[in-house]
Amino acid sequence: MSALCVTIDGKDITVESGATILEAARTAGIDIPTLCHHPALNDIGACRMCLVEIAGVPALQPACTYPVADGMVVQTESERSVQMRKFVLEMLFSERNHYCMFCEMSGDCELQAQAYRHGLAHWTYPTPNPRLPVDASRRFFLMDHNRCILCRRCIRACSDVVGNHTLGVMARGAHTMVTADMDQPFGDSTCVSCGTCLQVCPTGALVDRRSAYMGRHADVQTTESACAFCSVGCAITVVTRNGRPLRVEGGFDGPNAGVLCARGRFECLEGRERVAQPMVRRNGELTPATWDEATTRVADAFRAARPGAVHAWMTAVALTETMDAMADAFRNRLGAEVSLLSRPPEGPLPNGGALADIDAADRILVVGGDLRETHPVVAYRIQRAADHDAAITLVADGPSSFSAMAHEAFPMARLNDACKECQDAARPVIVYSADLPPEARQALSGLSTGARLIPLHSAANMPNALTLGLGGAAAWEECDLLYVLLQDGVLTEEQRERARSAAFVVLHAAYRGPDDDLASVLLPAPLWHERAGTFAAMDGRRAVVKPSTRRPESVWPEAAVFEGLAARV
Amino acid sequence: MPKPKVATDWLGDCAGCHMSLLDMDERILAVLSKVQLTSSPITDLKHPPPDGVEVGVLSGSINNTSNLAVARMMRKRCKCLVAMGDCAVMGGILSLRNAFDMKEALQRAYVDTPSTVDGFIPESDELAKPLRNRPVDQVVDVDVYLPGCPPSADAIFHALCELAEGRTPILEGETLKYD
Repeated sequence: MSALCVTIDGKDITVESGATILEAARTAGIDIPTLCHHPALNDIGACRMCLVEIAGVPALQPACTYPVADGMVVQTESERSVQMRKFVLEMLFSERNHYCMFCEMSGDCELQAQAYRHGLAHWTYPTPNPRLPVDASRRFFLMDHNRCILCRRCIRACSDVVGNHTLGVMARGAHTMVTADMDQPFGDSTCVSCGTCLQVCPTGALVDRRSAYMGRHADVQTTESACAFCSVGCAITVVTRNGRPLRVEGGFDGPNAGVLCARGRFECLEGRERVAQPMVRRNGELTPATWDEATTRVADAFRAARPGAVHAWMTAVALTETMDAMADAFRNRLGAEVSLLSRPPEGPLPNGGALADIDAADRILVVGGDLRETHPVVAYRIQRAADHDAAITLVADGPSSFSAMAHEAFPMARLNDACKECQDAARPVIVYSADLPPEARQALSGLSTGARLIPLHSAANMPNALTLGLGGAAAWEECDLLYVLLQDGVLTEEQRERARSAAFVVLHAAYRGPDDDLASVLLPAPLWHERAGTFAAMDGRRAVVKPSTRRPESVWPEAAVFEGLAARV
Repeated sequence: MPKPKVATDWLGDCAGCHMSLLDMDERILAVLSKVQLTSSPITDLKHPPPDGVEVGVLSGSINNTSNLAVARMMRKRCKCLVAMGDCAVMGGILSLRNAFDMKEALQRAYVDTPSTVDGFIPESDELAKPLRNRPVDQVVDVDVYLPGCPPSADAIFHALCELAEGRTPILEGETLKYD
């Protein structure tokens, strides 16, 4: 890479060769208007908003795709470029329905912002206003083709960032339409509802059902946090207004490179009834109670229980601070046997790899599990790497949602053969389920010194649970008291059956659910966007979770509940 | 020199643009010191005088045969025609109806609405006939565009002052808004 010198709007700028005019201009603080350009996407020069004048080049050129050359002289605001941009804008406004007055994006729309910047007071060309469909076949967001400017950001997000290749265009010219697969309704297509396209759409063409019309960017608050639903630890921005969560956006600077899964972006905000206050069982019915009444009952039950017959189950999704507080209070002060709701892996977990390593990998070995289900963001990253010629080797028993894209597949019994395939790779990455048997993990760690290994845990904060030495739920002879920190989850059928044999069950949960009928006392836990703390992500990172909404006063932080109980007993 | 005459009128709209005009508050006095307001929907005299005005202001879209007649009369009687507000400039909210069949729209408005009892679609030769909704410039020539839903009092004040001085108003910054 050599340095080149260009002159843009009279400023001398030195950039690395290979930089585009747009990149060079932005390093010098020169703002060339853009529409189809997005920092996380590959540029294609589709919209022609960034046309600039280059000395010696007869036609105007798009700044986003035109590489700089040494000694190049560029005018970004010449009369000819500005006139041409206005013309482009007038054409864009004439094509479909771009009435701002009833558009969800008005105020945050990039097309509107360009019209303001260029002083468009009316529409120069007639607006034929074709009546285009609105595709509302997806659960979380819809596509209004009438607002689409065909910038293809959504298509590039789908193919270049997520590697899913669902979106494309059909037909030509004014009849061009964004489509899914072979012109399927979006809801019936291969779309995985990751919502990356929704996040990058510059206009009101892609609309989030939940947060539509709920507030413009200037009206809302944002909190940078981490998604704690699985061990990937994606960077998220939680958008809230007046203490209510509106939507979740992916952090482009985070390890997830802007990508989230349907669970982390949409499902986590779906309306579930929360446990709003403590409840105790009276005459067989769960009825509201004060904290004092509820904790008195629990404390009485603790005192009445025989030593050795007190058990506590904890979700391994709990944040480190909550986990540590619970382990300390229940083991050391309440004399309970603490175990995890999900079975922890035994033995060492070779690790050291991160999501970013997948991008550079030439061979990726996927061993066990079904990542598209359990860790979708890792699966998308592997899909993306496959587009860049990484060979994918799948080792799994039975069908996997990943098998269609694997170049080779082996049954688990032939793990060693799969490992041999990877021996010659220059930059191998091994993504494996942490629940593999120890000997399989042993085989992986012996594979090659250069390999990056990424263990996928069954629960977000499993690494911290392992440092606390917590195990899976042990069998009991008799149980006088069972305390379950459930948070957002639900019990398995087997766990529910075991809990029934306990004489007294305390359920500490964020949402009402099928397990409530087990509870003698139901205690409210904060919702995910009310929690503060950290957790150990799969790559060893300490992910920081910040609260984006305020916890209601009737819901106490979990650690305070444990402390209060320990003090009473 | 006599003060230039200004007339305003409204077509298919919600009256919001004229509310915004009143929202100039005491600045209306400053405007009236520069121009003579001959007529408007919110004064006693409703129609522009037959001998004409310098500036005609229309808010609202062409939505029925009456709007069409009012727009044509204003165009004939003014030298400079201002389209005020998103409906006049771009067609506005009533354009949503263009996506539906007219019969369907009337049935919905006069009969099917949940609050309507014994509804019927009114029909009389004295009533204007609904038309496909259009912005003003698709019917008569427009000289000055003042978008906004509604345009702010600042935008209207700026436009009227510029016109009174014989200049073409240019909206920029906060005065240029589409919603």
